[in-house]
Amino acid sequence: MARPYPRTVSKTWWLKRWPYRIFMLRELSAVFVAAYVVLLLVLVTKVHDGASAFEGYLDTLQSPVFIGFHVVALLFVMLHAVTWFQAMPKGLPIRRGEERVPPAAIIGASYAGWLVVSVVVAAIFLL
Amino acid sequence: MTDATVTEQTVTLEVARYRPEQDERPTFQRVEVPYRPEWVVLDALNYLKDEVDGTLSYRWSCRMGICGSCGMMVNGVPKLTCAAFLRDYYPGPIRVEPLANFPVERDLVIVLDDFMGKLQAVKPWIIRDVERPLEEGEYRQTPAQRANFEQYSMCINCMLCYAACPVYETNEEFIGPAALALAARYNLDSRDQGNRLRNEVVWADDGIWDCTFVGECSTVCPKHVDPAGAIQQAKVESTIGWFQSLVMPFGGKSAKE
Repeated sequence: MARPYPRTVSKTWWLKRWPYRIFMLRELSAVFVAAYVVLLLVLVTKVHDGASAFEGYLDTLQSPVFIGFHVVALLFVMLHAVTWFQAMPKGLPIRRGEERVPPAAIIGASYAGWLVVSVVVAAIFLL
Repeated sequence: MTDATVTEQTVTLEVARYRPEQDERPTFQRVEVPYRPEWVVLDALNYLKDEVDGTLSYRWSCRMGICGSCGMMVNGVPKLTCAAFLRDYYPGPIRVEPLANFPVERDLVIVLDDFMGKLQAVKPWIIRDVERPLEEGEYRQTPAQRANFEQYSMCINCMLCYAACPVYETNEEFIGPAALALAARYNLDSRDQGNRLRNEVVWADDGIWDCTFVGECSTVCPKHVDPAGAIQQAKVESTIGWFQSLVMPFGGKSAKE
């Protein structure tokens, strides 16, 4: 007698295992990145509004709530960056003839490229 | 050496049972089986069926990671039970369940019709516009052309990736990791001319674009097929194809077609 037991669908699948929890945190990181961008855009408008508006905004940002937000946002941005670089070899694999370039090499090259860009940007603004 | 000393150590299995003629829903059967470090979970199941309870149903065949029949959830993770050693779970208990995200036919046996349908939907065979007559010989291929798709040809249809995929869990319409990896296997084959036909399914909403890149399909794959990679690369290709269809006359054609 065939009476298949239906597949079970759970709303809490993302709590079941660590890889799923990290996936959800990775997706959530986008919210914090977006929120940080909003703060940054507000900063730009304050610069436009003049020195006193800018100073006032900096004072607001020094409140514990905003400092707390920035710490959390920084952690999420780091998670975002690390998982992004880890995904590189999956989205953009590189082949040399019959051989696949090892994923670790692609990830390493991505970090190296990031470092170079960071140094160039820092040099432009600091020198 | 006596058997008694060997069988002193045991490990507890919690095996999911579902007998549709008597059970309303799946239950767990707790059984002590001998612990041998060289045994895999499948050996323990075979011991259970041979020595303890002959009514247990499960699929298996080759017991060497080739046939793809013995996939089950072991402590909540999709595994080929022929490659899941008891020693990695000792002292247990070890919970063995049918593959997640599929209906259960009986005990550890799942209904795999949905997967079979999806597999067919991506036309996993070589498609030619016009078949070459036999006397003209075989379709030749360089080693580099072969290397292009070889990884995806390793799939054994074990369905561990479907059991690991939360997108498939929450949306039954998703074509799923293995079928999309096999679509890539043929789309990347230099002898094949079926991309356009295949991509009607692959590039559709319930194809690659349902995927949110959780990546667990590639983690659990026993043959290192990397379906997640195949899907992300198809997304890139599909995006390029979409832009081509915008700017090129007659919808644009990919290089292979």
